[in-house]
Amino acid sequence: MIKILIVEDDANIAKLVEATAAIGGYEAEVCSDGEEAFERMEHGDYGLILLDVMLPGMDGFEIMRRRTKTDVPVIFITARQELTDKVRGLRLGADDYIVKPFEAMELLARIEVVLRRVKRTDHVLQYGDITVNLEEHSCRRGEEEVYLTPKEFDVLSFFIRHKDVAVSRERLLAAVWGYEYEGESRTVDIHIQQIRKKLNLKNRLVTIPKLGYRLESAKEQQ
Amino acid sequence: MKLWQKIFLYTLILVMLAVGVTSILLLKNSFSMALDQKKQGVYNEHEFAVAGFKSMMVTERLKENAVVLDEKALAGFMEEAFGEEGGGGIVFFNSDGGQVYANKRMDFPEGLLGAARKSGKSYMQVYQNQMYVASSESIEGKTYYVVTGHDISEVVAMHEDMLKRILAVSMGCAMGIAFVLLILVKILLHPLQKINEGTRAIAAGSYRERIPETGKDELSELAHNMNQMAEAVETNVRALEDVAENRKQFIDNLSHEMKTPLTSILGFADLLQIQKDVSEEHRMEYAGIIKEEAARLRALSGKLMELITVGQASLEYRREDMGRLFEEIGASLKMVADSHKIAFSCHSEPGELRVERELFKSLLYNLVDNAVKASEEGGSIRVEGRFADGQFQAIVEDEGVGIPEEEIGKIVQAFYMVDKARSRANGGAGLGLALCREIVSLHHGTMRFFSRLGEGTRVLIAIPADPEGGKP
Repeated sequence: MIKILIVEDDANIAKLVEATAAIGGYEAEVCSDGEEAFERMEHGDYGLILLDVMLPGMDGFEIMRRRTKTDVPVIFITARQELTDKVRGLRLGADDYIVKPFEAMELLARIEVVLRRVKRTDHVLQYGDITVNLEEHSCRRGEEEVYLTPKEFDVLSFFIRHKDVAVSRERLLAAVWGYEYEGESRTVDIHIQQIRKKLNLKNRLVTIPKLGYRLESAKEQQ
Repeated sequence: MKLWQKIFLYTLILVMLAVGVTSILLLKNSFSMALDQKKQGVYNEHEFAVAGFKSMMVTERLKENAVVLDEKALAGFMEEAFGEEGGGGIVFFNSDGGQVYANKRMDFPEGLLGAARKSGKSYMQVYQNQMYVASSESIEGKTYYVVTGHDISEVVAMHEDMLKRILAVSMGCAMGIAFVLLILVKILLHPLQKINEGTRAIAAGSYRERIPETGKDELSELAHNMNQMAEAVETNVRALEDVAENRKQFIDNLSHEMKTPLTSILGFADLLQIQKDVSEEHRMEYAGIIKEEAARLRALSGKLMELITVGQASLEYRREDMGRLFEEIGASLKMVADSHKIAFSCHSEPGELRVERELFKSLLYNLVDNAVKASEEGGSIRVEGRFADGQFQAIVEDEGVGIPEEEIGKIVQAFYMVDKARSRANGGAGLGLALCREIVSLHHGTMRFFSRLGEGTRVLIAIPADPEGGKP
């Protein structure tokens, strides 16, 4: 399991990020002081750092400048929205930049994108008897190979990664089709129906009125 | 055209003109003097020739024994007397204007004879390098007119030669003067160039730039004035920059202070919405956090409104009796202190002070609120007012955690919190002291902090008491 270090001085926001990370199935540690965070980044074994900019002790930019373990991806979480700050953060080697306030799913999606980029995600996802292999781009149900279109494949893996979470059509569009995609939410519905049919997930991939869809945990069905 | 070019050119033209006119006048003067001299000589020569001829005529007549010699005979004698002479020419005319004799061809001006005839005396004229003298003479009972011509080309040549020389000399002088003038103008106008460069630099935005002030002439005065102007501009610009910087800082901090609670509210509400099963424990926790952060936002917006309305709302300053006002404020603050189990006292010397009642109350509320937040259970807070040295002094003193010395200067800044976690836990927005500072400055007063870590803090506010309203 991937371990995330959350560096945030506001206790409630730290708790929020921790809870959000837990949804994505990540283990998280919280640290509220800049200098302590730097020490832990240098000596700990983390798969990702979520770093606030304004910190007591040492600010986020300073930590980025001083760190030696540059292969660990970092996402800045900050209230500062200015472009110069964003550029500065990214230039210092941050992998992404998320501005407060943010939605839980947005943070999760950013974390996934960054982890996928540095290839730290598990490439085999399991859901009940369904196995998704991200490297082979294959999907099996039991022993039987199920053929999915690339988009269907992405939608399925997104739901498996976010079990028990209600996902809005917009969020799904943004995550699978890309942020610029201006498709209709009907597109999502059609793909969901296809997935339900091909993998017999009618009862598990449920529609949540006014919100979107949710993939229920496999164990509840058993 | 540049100023130095103008000064140089105009001065040069004027000097040249002066030199030219002077030398031409001098030359003219000397020429006419030379001519006068020559005239005298010429006149004498003419007289001499005519007189010589007359006396020769007398001798001749006696020799011929004739009463009167006629024109023809005269012409013969004239030929005899003047024919061989290599000198100047001579012409005789009879009274009718007919030429009697000429020893050589002469081109004398037309008017010469007429003028001599009219005046009846000798007449002189200069014409084409020749000086002609005409005179009427009575010879052998008849009137004849004699014109002699004399060469003066020598004098004219000398004059022309001198003219050429003077021209050459004045050209040379002009060159010399031009060279010296150029250098002088350049040196004199050098500071102007410096001023120009300096002003350009200042205009381009480097307000720190100063122009060198050398010497005591108008240019250095100008430089001095320019520098003063630059200084005024620099001061103003810096003040404006400070205001802009403060405002930016305030907005930055405000946006940070608003986004932090918003992040928690939005995030936890999102978690409650999208997750399928939230345990009762988590639901309570998340909802609690949302409420807490919303309260923080409410406190922030309240304080912010107060801060904005201070100085904008129609303020009403009235004379208030401080003894009574402190009693009133003390009564409501006592409850707050009691609920935190903190001993509280609030008194003031009686006496009137012109204050805005609501603002003054808000000032003391905020300071006592801070004192309460800094104090532990069992601590004590003392509020005291007194009139001294033409001022009203209010003291708010606690035995709380104190403020680190190096932070005292920053605490009145909006959103500055010494201990963020502690302030937040107490619902502080970091605006209380900024508000106090505004209120005190509206009353033309000062606010000072004395604090020692772990021992407590004392805030001293001094507001000038108006002359008749001091101590009774």
